[in-house]
Amino acid sequence: MSALGELQRMRRGSGGTLGGKRDNKAAFVFLLPWFAGLLFITAGPIVASFLLGFTDYNLIQPPTFNGLDNFVRMLGDARLHNALRVTLVYVVVSVPLQLAAALALALLLDRGLRGLAFYRSAFYLPSLLGSSVAIAVLWRQIFGADGLVNQVLAMFGVEGKGWISDPSTALGTLIVLNVWTFGAPMVIFLAGLRQIPVMYYEAASTDGAGKWTQFRKITIPLLSPIIFFNLVLQIIHAFQSFTQAFVVSGGSGGPSDSTLFYTLYLYQRGFGNFDMGYASALAWLLLVIIAAFTAINFWAAKFWVVYDD
Amino acid sequence: MRKIALALAAALMLSACGSGGGAASQELSKDPVTLRFTWWGADERHQRTQQVIDLFQKKHPNITVKGEFKDWNGYWESLATTVAANDAPDVIQMDELYLSSYAERGALLDLGTMAKFLKTADFDKSALDTGVVSGKQYALPVGLSTYSIVVNTDLLDQLKVEMPDENTWTWEDLKNVGAQVSKAGGGKITGVQSLGFEAGGLNIWARQHGATLFDEQGKVVVPPEVLTSFWTYIRDLAKQGVTPPASVSVERAGGSLDQSGTATNASAFATWWNTQLTSLTTASGSTLKLLKLPGEAEAKSPGAYYKSSMYWSVSSRSEHPAEAALFVDFLANDPEAANIMLTDRGVPANTKIREAITPKLTETDKEAVEYMDRIKVGPAPRVTPNGASNIEAIIKRHTEEVLFDREPPEQAATAFIKELQAEIDGA
Repeated sequence: MSALGELQRMRRGSGGTLGGKRDNKAAFVFLLPWFAGLLFITAGPIVASFLLGFTDYNLIQPPTFNGLDNFVRMLGDARLHNALRVTLVYVVVSVPLQLAAALALALLLDRGLRGLAFYRSAFYLPSLLGSSVAIAVLWRQIFGADGLVNQVLAMFGVEGKGWISDPSTALGTLIVLNVWTFGAPMVIFLAGLRQIPVMYYEAASTDGAGKWTQFRKITIPLLSPIIFFNLVLQIIHAFQSFTQAFVVSGGSGGPSDSTLFYTLYLYQRGFGNFDMGYASALAWLLLVIIAAFTAINFWAAKFWVVYDD
Repeated sequence: MRKIALALAAALMLSACGSGGGAASQELSKDPVTLRFTWWGADERHQRTQQVIDLFQKKHPNITVKGEFKDWNGYWESLATTVAANDAPDVIQMDELYLSSYAERGALLDLGTMAKFLKTADFDKSALDTGVVSGKQYALPVGLSTYSIVVNTDLLDQLKVEMPDENTWTWEDLKNVGAQVSKAGGGKITGVQSLGFEAGGLNIWARQHGATLFDEQGKVVVPPEVLTSFWTYIRDLAKQGVTPPASVSVERAGGSLDQSGTATNASAFATWWNTQLTSLTTASGSTLKLLKLPGEAEAKSPGAYYKSSMYWSVSSRSEHPAEAALFVDFLANDPEAANIMLTDRGVPANTKIREAITPKLTETDKEAVEYMDRIKVGPAPRVTPNGASNIEAIIKRHTEEVLFDREPPEQAATAFIKELQAEIDGA
């Protein structure tokens, strides 16, 4: 309460006249490292990459302005179109599956299981590791020709294959990896479920509503802001996926470009082909795509997200 | 605020394109000098190289050499970024694939200007020429290697398959003997390890058909029919079970040398650079021999050539070019340094050094050296042109497409030429 009062006082500027100013100075001094970081490490490169998007820049020689050439080139770039397709499939398939898994687990854990804290941590663990190099390396082992999956299949007399080295299944293994890292949305769902008053369910039970009806008519609507939040976040996250594909495919996006994520292609152009101007332009296209998806999400939210205020 | 950011961006860009270089001194400094030296390789190489560095520092107490070593995969990204940041190491281990890309963009020093410190008298001219771009010696070849077939004679004995005659055999013979091995091997062992995952095999194939990948101007001139026959051959091998199923081949090609079909005793024949024989023998624990390439007897011109396994280069922006040249001279010409390195970086291109170290080599290294003298080679192909550094990635991708039947060989051939030419034109 007193902190809030303090805040209001500061807003109104009614703090001690002299002391307040000194407080501000101190605040700015403490903010400086963060501010410098923002300026030099984030804002600077963002602006630089925007400018470089209109140049031909090979990293070694000075960039030369080439107008909209990079953007025109995108229209005829078959590998870029493939990368967009791969990334879209990844986002559209893995995000709903991941959220469904997260919600299912959250519902299960919300029933007051004994040892809840342990399970919550155990299921959250993959999310901490999911985008790490170590897990991607592990994935190679699990889905390799002599990997765990095939050993299990062999027990049932099924002959497996190199899942990661076959273009028809390689992307699938990455989707499974992303679904597996459902911990972060799960924790958020759990928190959301706790917010739903128990009395709604009690009332519904009294009126004879079954579990499924309760889920559809109470849980989903009341949880919809949380679902929306997770959806937006995970879509953005999935568009930016890089490490998994990079490690699993050895940086190539292979076999035959079947795991060529957008960011991986961007990286190949920039650092593999010394094509930093084009890579910068690609980065901005990705920003536009993500912004468009997010805008559509917010627009669509009007039709299904319920704010219970 | 926006102005500041813009100014900052401009500053960033300027710093990235500053011509640097400064006062390129032609004299050795008496003051302490620190050189940065970067290379790629495995543990063995890191240890040997560090010993060479220690030796050099003992002889030149005012020069400190700081080694920065990486794995091949991360090496080029990291080099590109340091060069862009005007923070390139002074002495750079360079590869043929990237030589033009760096030299033509002005990132490397013309070693000819440092002849006072860097002697090249003991190198053959043909070897030295492999480091020349646009008439300037931007790189000094370290070692030579040549493409070969590695055969596992233990496997052949065990499966009772007769060793082919390397002097007369053709690619068709390789397919046939490979089929025999696959048949006798009963699934686990295949005759041949799939080709088409690096540039060496494609080069050989083109050369045997009287073609070259690039002309002198760096244009892609290999006829599509030649490439079509290359990918058709690779597809046939897989279809007939001479090479493993596509996904196994792709997986092995993506792994390290230790995971290859040769190293795991899963393939009897495979294409390798001759200098890899020692590592392969160690990994497989089997008796491995080098055979001449198939098809050489009936080829229009010899497919085999000496490739520079790697080069020494000096950054054009080095603040101590004289000392860097002195260090390269030590690496290239010093007998003591050579005794430590032996053939870790290939069979030394320096002919005097090669003779001096031969008695000290292991059996497999000796065989690699002997193999070089046994084969007939043609003139080396031109250095990979600026922009074509990722040629291996393009080859590999189309081999995958062909192996998985997603693209017929004809289409792979035309698409490969188009893509490669576009990369060169875009550079």
